[in-house]
Amino acid sequence: MSANSLPTAPPAAGITIRGLEVVYTTGQGQIPAVNGINLDIVGGQITGIIGESGSGKSTLAMAMMNAVPHPGKIVKGSVIIDGVGNMMTLDKESQRRARGRHVGFVFQAAQNSLNPLTRIGHQVLDLGRSHNVKDLRALLRRAKELLERMGMDADRVLTSYQHELSGGMRQRVGIMFALVLDAQIVILDEPTTALDMLSQASVLEIVRSIQEERGLTIILITHDMGVVADLADRVIVMYGGELAEEGKTEDVLAHPQHPYTRGLIRAIPRISGNLDQAVALAGSPPDLQTFVQNACLFYDRCPERMAQCQNHRPPYEIAGPGRKVACFKVMAK
Amino acid sequence: MKNILIRLAKRIVAGIVMVLVVASFTFFLVRMMPGNPVSAKYNELIMRGMTPVQAMDAVRVMYGFIPHQPLWQQYLHYIGQILHLNLGRSISYEGVPVLHIILNAAPWTIILVTTGLIASFIVGVLAGVIAAVKRSSPVGSAITLSGSIMHGIPQFVMGLFLAYVFTTIWALLPFGAPYNAALTPGFNGPFIMSLIRHAILPVATYALSSYGGWLLTMKSSVISVLGDDFILASEVRGIKASTRLRYIAHNAILPLFTIFALSIGFMFGGSLFIEDIFDYPGLGNLLLHAIDSRDYPLMSGAFLLITVAVIVANIVADFLYSVVDPRIRR
Repeated sequence: MSANSLPTAPPAAGITIRGLEVVYTTGQGQIPAVNGINLDIVGGQITGIIGESGSGKSTLAMAMMNAVPHPGKIVKGSVIIDGVGNMMTLDKESQRRARGRHVGFVFQAAQNSLNPLTRIGHQVLDLGRSHNVKDLRALLRRAKELLERMGMDADRVLTSYQHELSGGMRQRVGIMFALVLDAQIVILDEPTTALDMLSQASVLEIVRSIQEERGLTIILITHDMGVVADLADRVIVMYGGELAEEGKTEDVLAHPQHPYTRGLIRAIPRISGNLDQAVALAGSPPDLQTFVQNACLFYDRCPERMAQCQNHRPPYEIAGPGRKVACFKVMAK
Repeated sequence: MKNILIRLAKRIVAGIVMVLVVASFTFFLVRMMPGNPVSAKYNELIMRGMTPVQAMDAVRVMYGFIPHQPLWQQYLHYIGQILHLNLGRSISYEGVPVLHIILNAAPWTIILVTTGLIASFIVGVLAGVIAAVKRSSPVGSAITLSGSIMHGIPQFVMGLFLAYVFTTIWALLPFGAPYNAALTPGFNGPFIMSLIRHAILPVATYALSSYGGWLLTMKSSVISVLGDDFILASEVRGIKASTRLRYIAHNAILPLFTIFALSIGFMFGGSLFIEDIFDYPGLGNLLLHAIDSRDYPLMSGAFLLITVAVIVANIVADFLYSVVDPRIRR
């Protein structure tokens, strides 16, 4: 690798999240998008965060960089990135330097993540200058290397404007931007949502091979169980802004414990086999009413609810080696 | 490059056609005016004792066409004269070529409006960016309010107000006339100083009354760009604040670019109220005078100039837009 001119963060940096709370102020009131989450992201692994739309997974991702867009607001908690510090208490300039340099971010809307009026090569240079990269030529070489690696004509891409590239190409350019400064932690927020099946597969393959090669810490946010099963070492299930379950991917997929996780897995249609085997999750995602009451967030939709679930929220507790679940029923076993 | 030239050529041809259409329209408008100025003048000259031949010659020279020819022949003659840049002769400034009068008036308007336009554009756009970025703070609200108020005050009220404050209450600046008549016009210090001092109030009036429009347009444009995904993306990539501001400004100013170019075209219509209040001998005053004295050749000449200027500005705006926005380039 020709990265010797770029100082890198210590390898296998992890993230420690404590008591993180993010609130969105809306016309109807305050919605807790991330509600007191404690989470350890293990360095050097791919961690999948899965949940339905509105479960707070993208907000969690933005909060890890202390960059929640308006009207969202981080009300409390800490996010400690190894080699950087607490993103909540660092000064603005250090936060900015950490973004991009230590933590790369691939956008949910990576289709439109580039300035439409500037050539992509120039934007790479803007990125380099923002992070005080001395050898800008080496940076461009690095960008080219990554683009070629992802199967693109690097010279053409660097001299192009965003509108001259296809959706899949823009997504890969987004990944290049997240990797070009040798960030050790890369957050991918639904990187494949807007892509067709073939582009999806190739983007995921790129993510996997680069992760293996560089021992990156990857956080993969998705609502696609298949993507998680394919790539992630660990999986974290989010529901209504809280964590429902986490564990090694094989364990969680083979033996899901939280009724919500089980519902999610049952809802996946198989390519071979009867479509009727896929069972949709009954009920609707939590709304403002759900957050106000004391019951478990999943109470209204849970097929296995007990009396206890109506009056208390289940704590998020250890349920085996490397395994955590928030469910009274599971704990009672 | 070849495509651009073809596009430009198409635009220019379309522009020429449009100029001819407007010229034809003004021609027939003049002919259909109640009272028929052409034969009125002809009759007037005969009454003064000219022979019909003399009168017809005089009218032909004045209007650029012969009144007793059939309409279509007069029309062809008129169009032919326009193609030779002959706009006929003025009635009120007896016998002076219209083109000459217009060219004399144009510099006053151009200097006045260009200075005011550029000043208001720069200040308005910068204020608009601040108003957008700080829109939830009192500073931002105050700036926006200033824009709305300035935008709401009519030009003539603004002009009279400034004139009242700075020439009557505090007699800091001169009122009326483009320069002190006691000085010899030419390239000398006192004359130039006098020019500048007389220009301050009209320019300020123009700038203040267009400032609000730029501010409000820029503010809404910046706010819409701030919501774009790539701005959030650049924040998450740790792009420097100054670079991000450049991204925002570049993207937000595009819509204003067209308005700016068109304003330059419309400036040839003169700024009627300002020139009238401050007695400035520009195109606006000329047009007022032409209307007052029923000077039809002068009127159609002025209208033609406005048409040409707007069409040219349109072509230039369209062409330059494709330079500043790569998405329009083909």
